[in-house]
Amino acid sequence: MNSSKLIGLYRALLSIILTFLVTSIFLIINNTNPLLAYYYIFIGAFGNINLIIETLVRATPILIISLGLAISFRCKVWNIGAEGQLYIGAMLGTITAIALGESFFTFPIAFIMSLIGGALWASIPAFMKSKLGINEVITTFLMNFISINFVQWLLSFPLKSPETLFPESERIPNSAILPVLIPYTRMHLGIVIAFFLILPIIHFIMMKTTFGFKLKVVGENPEVARYSGIDVEKILFLALVISGALAGMAGFIEVAGIQFRMRPTISPGYGYTGIVIALLGQNNPIGISLASIFIAAIINGSSTMSRMLNQPQGIVDFIQGLLIMFVLASNYILRYVSKKELIKL
Amino acid sequence: MIELIISLISITLQTSAPLLLASIGECIVERGGILNLGIEGAMLIGAFTGFISAYFTKNLLIGILASIIGGIAIVLFFGFLVIEMNLDQVISALAINLLSYGICIYFFRIIFSQGSLPYISELLSPIPIPILSEIPIIGMILFNQTIFVYIALISIPIAYYLIFKTRYGLSLRATGENPSIAYRLGVNVSKVRYIALIIEGIFVGIAGGTFCLSMFNVFDVRITAAKGFMAVSIVILGRWNPIGVFGGALLFGFAEALSLWIGTLIIGPISASISQLLSILPYVVTIIALLIGGRKAKGPASLGAPFSRE
Repeated sequence: MNSSKLIGLYRALLSIILTFLVTSIFLIINNTNPLLAYYYIFIGAFGNINLIIETLVRATPILIISLGLAISFRCKVWNIGAEGQLYIGAMLGTITAIALGESFFTFPIAFIMSLIGGALWASIPAFMKSKLGINEVITTFLMNFISINFVQWLLSFPLKSPETLFPESERIPNSAILPVLIPYTRMHLGIVIAFFLILPIIHFIMMKTTFGFKLKVVGENPEVARYSGIDVEKILFLALVISGALAGMAGFIEVAGIQFRMRPTISPGYGYTGIVIALLGQNNPIGISLASIFIAAIINGSSTMSRMLNQPQGIVDFIQGLLIMFVLASNYILRYVSKKELIKL
Repeated sequence: MIELIISLISITLQTSAPLLLASIGECIVERGGILNLGIEGAMLIGAFTGFISAYFTKNLLIGILASIIGGIAIVLFFGFLVIEMNLDQVISALAINLLSYGICIYFFRIIFSQGSLPYISELLSPIPIPILSEIPIIGMILFNQTIFVYIALISIPIAYYLIFKTRYGLSLRATGENPSIAYRLGVNVSKVRYIALIIEGIFVGIAGGTFCLSMFNVFDVRITAAKGFMAVSIVILGRWNPIGVFGGALLFGFAEALSLWIGTLIIGPISASISQLLSILPYVVTIIALLIGGRKAKGPASLGAPFSRE
């Protein structure tokens, strides 16, 4: 492990420790033993084989999203619109799957359409960023509200399933459903695809290709990148579009593996959780895979903890907010410490 | 028909007020070279502290005061991250937004038990201004509004005067263009920026207060609905000038008012469908406005750049 990776690890661990410290203080104020709370979070996430599988189920969409975000964050394109890109991708994939019906090609075509949906949705802010110089943070976030409300409208009216009372689509055909690998669990093929196909591919793209290298150069110094002949605008555009495609894919895998219908509740904020994970994982695919399991465990475990200790539900969002804050601050803390003592850092 | 149009313009002023307040605050801060994309979170905190205080004290003025304090606190925390710790402004803002969201969800449920739906029994009512509110049509629209609309309208000339006519405004603009030169000329860059942030905190806090104290009587974490990011867009479209900002805020406020207004006009089975579809109108208008008007926007030269004295 080289020194920059080691610093990354220190930063991640430091921010996790500080987050737990602050969370503990609030748990104590709220009359709860923090150690007991963390114990229940752990048990709720890893207590038995079924719970472990559920944690992996939860980690899958956020892993795929944050791998995409890592690509855009690497060149300092701050895509905070993964939530909306996920909805468009999942919706387009679902529409395609229902339109095609039962066939051998249903899954692959719907899968590709979900990537295209997310990519097209991201291409609007990508165009505005690369050609007009408009801050992508603003546009990607505003477009979340367009896509989520639009999808909600589609599911409430034109595309609403006639059989159910809820705003949701028809069931996708069986041939579009990802097979379950372990009977009587929700361990579906999408989990394997995410961890053993998408993860290595993104790792390869980021670490071994010239595109990955260009991402890094553009992120570190766009002027240097420009002088060395890199088409900076093209890289910014592609980075945002690729992250959109992966968010769309994450949405469709959730439909095809878990929900079997498109629902307006398909993502409880995975697009924003992805930001926390990409930053906690230091934009490193391996770090991100660990971070996504860690966050998934906290999400699943804290609902067990809330039930057992009668705690309010929102603690997950609080922990995520603290985490991103400390990931950021750990930069400063390590910089400060290294000046004083650890000169080698 | 005239009554309908009066009501549309009147709603426009109400929906513009939080946008105007937030974008005036953001305009001042950006003039000093800091890009604060964390006002979405600051607005939410303002709404939260305002709601909690008004709920427990049953006093809406204390609610407004609490909104201001909440807004100042979170914006100053952002200032601490980017000025004191010299951290990246965009990521700090993302962190502020996510943290504010987490704080509001968690503490709302700590204060009010699971499943309960607390509400404020009485919202701020419009204050008719004597004599002026008697003027036909204009009086109804302009001088029979809540205190938030008046504060928002007054903030435009105040901000204009502050930025362009005072010594502080000169230091602020110099800092935004080139902090190193401003520093060498004797401007206390950090102090100038902190003052701008405190002013922004006041405005953004009040903007958050409008949601829970004059529009809705309940609190929800989705209550700000990207208004902070709209405010940042307004500053770009208004070219960092309070008067331009006023135009932008009116445009987006009008889009929101229109979507509410059309929704109430349509009756029959399709009305629910149309209202739901119309809810995306303000966001579509913002994106299109940025596509058309964001092209050659040149902000303060050092906007968003880190600055350290060494």
